Amino acid sequence: MTPNGGVVLAAVLIVAAILAGPSGIVILAAAATVFATLEVGGASCLAALRRALLVMVPLAAFMLIVWVGVVGRAPQEIAAGAAGSRQAALVYVATVAGRLFLIVWVVQLVGLRFADQTVLGFVRMLHAPVAAKRLMVLTLSLVETLRHSVDRAHTALIAGGILTRGWSLRNLANGWILMQTIWLTAVTTVTARIRDKWPVEDTVALLDHALAGGRARLSPGDVGWIAAALAAGLAAQIVGWHVAA
Amino acid sequence: MSRREALAGPNFSGRSAALLAMLRERAAPAFFVGPYAEAALSGLTSSVADELALYHGEPPQPRPPLAALDLAGLARRKPQSLSGGEQVLLALHCFAQSAYGAIAVDTALEQLDPANRVAALAFLDSGAFDVALIDNRIVPDAWERRDFAAGDGYRIDWPRLAQTVTAQDGKAITVTELDFAYAGGRQIFSKASVTLAPGTAHRLSGANGAGKTTFLKLLVGALAPDAGEVRLGGEPYRPWRDGNGAFALATQNPDQQWCGATLREDLARRRQALGTRARTLEDARMSKLANALSIESLDAHLYELPLAARKRVSWLWPLAGAHPWIMLDEPTLGQDRATREQFARLIEIVCARGYGVIFVTHDDEFAAMLPHRRLLIENRAISSPAQTAE
Repeated sequence: MTPNGGVVLAAVLIVAAILAGPSGIVILAAAATVFATLEVGGASCLAALRRALLVMVPLAAFMLIVWVGVVGRAPQEIAAGAAGSRQAALVYVATVAGRLFLIVWVVQLVGLRFADQTVLGFVRMLHAPVAAKRLMVLTLSLVETLRHSVDRAHTALIAGGILTRGWSLRNLANGWILMQTIWLTAVTTVTARIRDKWPVEDTVALLDHALAGGRARLSPGDVGWIAAALAAGLAAQIVGWHVAA
Repeated sequence: MSRREALAGPNFSGRSAALLAMLRERAAPAFFVGPYAEAALSGLTSSVADELALYHGEPPQPRPPLAALDLAGLARRKPQSLSGGEQVLLALHCFAQSAYGAIAVDTALEQLDPANRVAALAFLDSGAFDVALIDNRIVPDAWERRDFAAGDGYRIDWPRLAQTVTAQDGKAITVTELDFAYAGGRQIFSKASVTLAPGTAHRLSGANGAGKTTFLKLLVGALAPDAGEVRLGGEPYRPWRDGNGAFALATQNPDQQWCGATLREDLARRRQALGTRARTLEDARMSKLANALSIESLDAHLYELPLAARKRVSWLWPLAGAHPWIMLDEPTLGQDRATREQFARLIEIVCARGYGVIFVTHDDEFAAMLPHRRLLIENRAISSPAQTAE
């Protein structure tokens, strides 16, 4: 598989997941499982699963409390003015959580499929205008800056005695300080970079050379996986229409 | 032969501003290595391999080799996760294979260990490209020299600072068979043991990337050891589980230690975490300390201060007396000789008042200014070479 194929495959599965209903999501999850097994494999597959669960579980728990526990009706029932039921609310929560899980899982799977390549190498191989690739690298660099800011702010607040490394009441009370410190760190880091280093080096212009090139064609393997994803997406829609009817 | 220029002068003499102005006036872009990661690395990449690929010039420039950094094991590492010295070496490697015809280095070489510093200076001295250098520890003889006169701002009131330091009843730290590896398997410590006595300044030394800052992070609880034990005054001490209550840390990059946007906010949050132990840290006393460091108001926005001033403000919390142990990671980075001399005297006073001090420095000149016990981190262990109290 090529990076171009990976990006198209992820896009197809994500769009299909957004459009699919509860039973359609099951079909798409099955397609993603086949991709994970055949193309990604063992430890990476489990890592992607773990990360997707880490994102989905807190949201699902929160939605369960709000929609099933407190509201007791699904949003579409509220819109229709129907009495509603907790069962419908549960189906709604499962659908949203399943959709989020699937999206994160697919993104992780495609990312881990190309884990042997560096970010710059991956983006360089994409068939896209250099301006779009540059935008992609800048966006990813901001994500990286935020991740670094999290680490830096966390260390500062632990050293300052404001947080602890493990779970604690202190962390619960002072978590907002961590959030504020992360943003302050990120903003000042980016400011320092774009004020001093980038202007004198013209650093961003280096990306044009570094990102030039890329494979224009999809490989036969790419075409096969994309066709399978489209078929799964179509099946998910048909099943959805059938259930609705 | 290309131009090699050293910008010499004390802190706040305008050297850094002049260096950046020189670069902005150049017709062609130049490579810049600033004093901290934000200004040493591009910030555009997430691996060492990508950082090198970004700067790779076509065609390659005829440059002397720079073999000071073993890049073989670092290709997948995030540039920001490297130690300060490794980041500077990476930046120099990037320049070495770039198409830039000039490089400017602002105090960054001060983060290098002696061997790497010699290699880096030899590389910059090769004459194959233009160089502009600010360094508080050396002005190469054969280079053009541009002197800057002392400015008026940020004068430290050292006697007042010394008066403000309260007495402490420090306790010994015993580290026994400490093991630590970063995620990914890089082993930093293996059965490392050391005992640190209060009232003494301990210098942690070792090559760039040996684990000096990691050791400090373990003691403040920002990292948890895989095995081993730390005792404070004979009692088990687990800051990674219970929180840090014994160490005041001044980080290598001062911007990595702030807990608020202003000094007042930063101090208020630290004091709140200390609870009843913070009674002696009232605003009036902290203002006095800040004034002695030439900061007029606690409401000063930390990020608006010049870098050398921020570095000095980073000493404030360790000197506040809230913790019996003081940790200083490259405390003299970017500081001129006069400041380093006075700061060495201050550390002596602090030790005499019962504090334990651990400092990390590659600045042999500064280390020679104060009596200390040298600890060497090497081969995943901490040893105490025969030399003491230089």
